[in-house]
Amino acid sequence: MTRNFSAWPIYALLGILSAPLAVMYLFLVIDTFTNAPPGSLIPNEFTFHHWRFLWDASVTGDVWGPTATTFLFATTMVVIVLAVSSTAGYAISRLNLPFRRFFLSGIMVMHAFPSVTLIIGVFLVLQFAGLYNTLIGVILVKASLMLPFGVWIMKGFYDQVPWEIEMAGVQDGASRFTVWRRLILPQVTPGLLSLGIFAFIDGWSEFMLPRILAPSANFQVLSTYLNVVSDPNSTTYNFNLFKSVGLFYTLPILVLFAVFQNRLMNIFGGGTKG
Amino acid sequence: MRTRTSLLGLGFVSPALALLFAFFLMPVVLTTVFAFTNMSTATGITGGSHVITGNLLRDLGNAGIDNDVITALGEASFSVTSETLAAAADAGVEPRFLGEIEARLMGQNFEDARSFESALKSLPSRPTRIRELKLATEPFERSILNTRYASRADMEAAITSMAPDAPAETISTIAEASYTGWRWIDGGNFQTLLDRPETIRIVLNTVFYVAATLAFNVFVGLFLAITTFYLPKTGAGFFSVLWLLPRITPVVLYAVMWKWFTWDNGFLYVIAEQLGLPAFNYMKGSVPTAWATIILVNGFVGASFGMILFSGALRAIPIQQLWASEVDGASRWQQIRQIILPQLRWPILFVTSYQTLSLLSSYEQIWLTTNGGPGSTTTVWALEAFNTALNNYTGNLEYGMGAAMALILVAVGLVLSILYLRMFRFDELVNKPRIEF
Amino acid sequence: MQVTLKDFTKTFDDMTVIDKMNLTVEDGEMLALLGPSGCGKSTTLFAICGIHRINGGQILFGTRDVSNVPSQKRNVGVVFQNYALYPHLTVSENIAFPLSVRGDDKAKIEREVRAIAELTHIEELLARRPAQLSGGQQQRVALARALVRKPDVLLLDEPLANLDAKLRLEMRSEIRRIQLETGITAILVTHDQVEAMSMCDRIAIMNKGEILQIATPTDMYRAPVNKFVAGFLGNPPIVMLEGKASGDGRFIVNGGAGLPLPSRLANIPGDTPLSLGVRPEHFGAAGASQVSGTITFVEPQGRETLFDVTLADGVVLRSIQPAREDVALGHKVAWPLDAEKLLAFDATGQAV
Ligand SMILES: Nc1ncnc2c1ncn2[C@@H]1O[C@H](COP(=O)(O)OP(=O)(O)OP(=O)(O)O)[C@@H](O)[C@H]1O
Ligand SMILES: [Mg+2]
Repeated sequence: MTRNFSAWPIYALLGILSAPLAVMYLFLVIDTFTNAPPGSLIPNEFTFHHWRFLWDASVTGDVWGPTATTFLFATTMVVIVLAVSSTAGYAISRLNLPFRRFFLSGIMVMHAFPSVTLIIGVFLVLQFAGLYNTLIGVILVKASLMLPFGVWIMKGFYDQVPWEIEMAGVQDGASRFTVWRRLILPQVTPGLLSLGIFAFIDGWSEFMLPRILAPSANFQVLSTYLNVVSDPNSTTYNFNLFKSVGLFYTLPILVLFAVFQNRLMNIFGGGTKG
Repeated sequence: MRTRTSLLGLGFVSPALALLFAFFLMPVVLTTVFAFTNMSTATGITGGSHVITGNLLRDLGNAGIDNDVITALGEASFSVTSETLAAAADAGVEPRFLGEIEARLMGQNFEDARSFESALKSLPSRPTRIRELKLATEPFERSILNTRYASRADMEAAITSMAPDAPAETISTIAEASYTGWRWIDGGNFQTLLDRPETIRIVLNTVFYVAATLAFNVFVGLFLAITTFYLPKTGAGFFSVLWLLPRITPVVLYAVMWKWFTWDNGFLYVIAEQLGLPAFNYMKGSVPTAWATIILVNGFVGASFGMILFSGALRAIPIQQLWASEVDGASRWQQIRQIILPQLRWPILFVTSYQTLSLLSSYEQIWLTTNGGPGSTTTVWALEAFNTALNNYTGNLEYGMGAAMALILVAVGLVLSILYLRMFRFDELVNKPRIEF
Repeated sequence: MQVTLKDFTKTFDDMTVIDKMNLTVEDGEMLALLGPSGCGKSTTLFAICGIHRINGGQILFGTRDVSNVPSQKRNVGVVFQNYALYPHLTVSENIAFPLSVRGDDKAKIEREVRAIAELTHIEELLARRPAQLSGGQQQRVALARALVRKPDVLLLDEPLANLDAKLRLEMRSEIRRIQLETGITAILVTHDQVEAMSMCDRIAIMNKGEILQIATPTDMYRAPVNKFVAGFLGNPPIVMLEGKASGDGRFIVNGGAGLPLPSRLANIPGDTPLSLGVRPEHFGAAGASQVSGTITFVEPQGRETLFDVTLADGVVLRSIQPAREDVALGHKVAWPLDAEKLLAFDATGQAV
């Protein structure tokens, strides 16, 4: 970068602006392993005590059940999103369809459209379909709400594959399906991977849909679990514990983010979370 | 020559179409439809039955229905049928006595309790005690009051049997009024919204929330993008990761962290106490601090969106332009004003439009932090719609009203997103398929 | 396999790119489709291989009408300009792809891939991926893949455009060798006249969606049907002079002294508007009439030297001769003109 200007005033400004974030994330980690005397922020004791919820179900209730459910929820949703987006995205990018342009515009509108406003309508749909309070209902809703984004992203990746590859495949005698399956799909695996990770993180974090569409179901995901556990008005009032549960919950995401940061950056740019 | 529709293409889009139909189109339709109903927990969702309650009778009386009919409906009658006999057997009436009732009184109706009791007293094996006799009459009582009828026809039949003299028109009015399910109320919900004094307050809250958060997002996003642009790689990387963290942190944990930061005995509280400043629960304790919290909670998530897009646009600026300006002796500020900002016009417009829409409809963070409080001072439109329809602690969820509120957001959302589609020419990103078979 | 286009018509949206084209490629022949950029060469090629639907006319392979047959069933091999190798497959997997799609068994695929790799000299590359190959090697792989399932027709769309000059020369003869060895009917699309002339049995020259002339390279060079063809072929290009016939077997430019016309045009009436084409090699080597002028430009090209000679009446003729240094810029020279080989065109541009 340009070297004619000194960097330290920038660091100072950025540091002040970012201080709340830095403090929150720093203490998110510190507080899970330490205790501090009342009225102080500086820890004076190292402890694993706050992590005992992992093996002692009497602290906050069983955490492994919700963990498994969350994993199931996120992966199923990822599979649906990937399967549907990778086929629909291909069709829009490459195949002869009536109303193709209209369909793509529709996808774009739905992508920009704030889907949270539909939650009441979605609630009614699930009621009528008998999927209210079921895991599969929540998964279908979550996957569907991600679809406009997924289709749009995948269409973008397909657009980058040279037409000549497709033409060569057809010329070599392969059907369009075989061409897609054996020649085009391998070219968009980076896209599938990025979308998959993004969708997984999104699904893993999802709180609203399970909370609203399956409030009294017999399953819990980690977000609703953490929400119940971490109510500061509850008897278990202890932020060290809340943070430990929260950090445990977020760990997989942090790992994925650390590993795939560059891939995710592309997707965040077209992302939905405002 | 028309290019032929690809069957594979149809197959490939149909799963997406089905899901989008079910969970985008249908919700829009249902929101629209039920915005014009009074659907709530009380009315149920899938429809109702017909019941006449005491309250309803009173209302009907006030509404001018013939008093005789009202009285007739309010009265009980007694009849001996196989059903009432079975009910009596279940209630433990003595079998021999029951056998006699069946033998002698089968099929008879009695206008009131007294005549039925005297008929029973004429039976040989009647119970001796008067209390037992009264108990035995109860299962034979047939009243229309509080009895559920599945269909309107059943209800009308029941009314006719109770008040045979009532005119058909009256019967129909009563049957109609006895429906417990949701009904069409035209623009009733919207009228209510207009009449409510809180509505204007919520609208103003929403406008303030969107404007303030948007300003934070755009300015901080710009600031982050430009500053990290001038930093060496590692420094820039550190700050962009730090600012991306809120975006990937699950919202529930993010809310917990903010609670810790602003709550009683939380971070700010302890610091303020040590500095001798007012220490209280900043999230819920006062209106200005509650607003500040909400705007920061959302702003710290939203700023990274601008940061990412602006950084991308900055990297696209040919570096030679910057070098050239430095050679010409431009200060950093001049460089930013005259070279960088003009090239960020479109990204800024895009971020502004996109986030206006998403802020307008977002309430998750508010719900999990201040939840609109203290009082309803930080309640925004989307949160209120959600609370009305789906998250009401009084237990009566007003789906119809919530849908009406959501419908307004849906309409605004549709208009704006179509506008953006036009403005940013996204619909021109379609290419014609080049393989025509 | 003979390939025939009958009244082939192609429109994009409302724009007619090719209107009623007729073309026959004989069995075993290599034909060049030559023309400037945008004239519809690729469009024709794509119609033959079944990527584009045609809007009118017929395409016949032998006697089979394939107009409505999809690509997969046409059995045409295509080499694309950018080779279109499948980046995620190795060279041998690339070549095997058409066979495995067809459902051939492993042993057979193995055998065929080896055979075609030998033919195209890429045996040592079979385990590599396309990204690890040079341009010329990628070209060979693309050829091998197009040929492996023994197509009836081989189509090449600007196959040499992406190669550097030296490789282009090498691949030119390689492609021709392979075409001759397999005896396959081939169509080569190019806008490079040297490629077309050096590689093909016949050339079909196109402009604006129309075929102007189909002939062997020598015939076409010697007797172009119109001005466009004459101008397109030849490097350095032909010099075209506008003027009219004098009535006594000469050609007059702007009322000047004029040049002789070929004897076949001796009887052309006076004042007929004509264009006279003079190729550089027909001026300065041999011929009956002498033309004198001043050398106004010299361009040494190694083996040959190119001269511009300005005549007394201002007309500029170009001459190419074996390298010589006895004349230089500004010298007055009188060189022979081979009048019998000059080309003449009428007002509409047709050869006379
Ligand atoms: N898919 C298409 N839609 C619309 N017009 C097209 C399409 N493909 C080609 N054209 C037009 O048809 C004409 C012929 O194009 P074509 O690609 O056949 O030219 P070409 O001779 O191969 O040129 P080049 O040497 O540049 O490849 C051009 O004017 C081009 O703009
Ligand atoms: Mg072309």
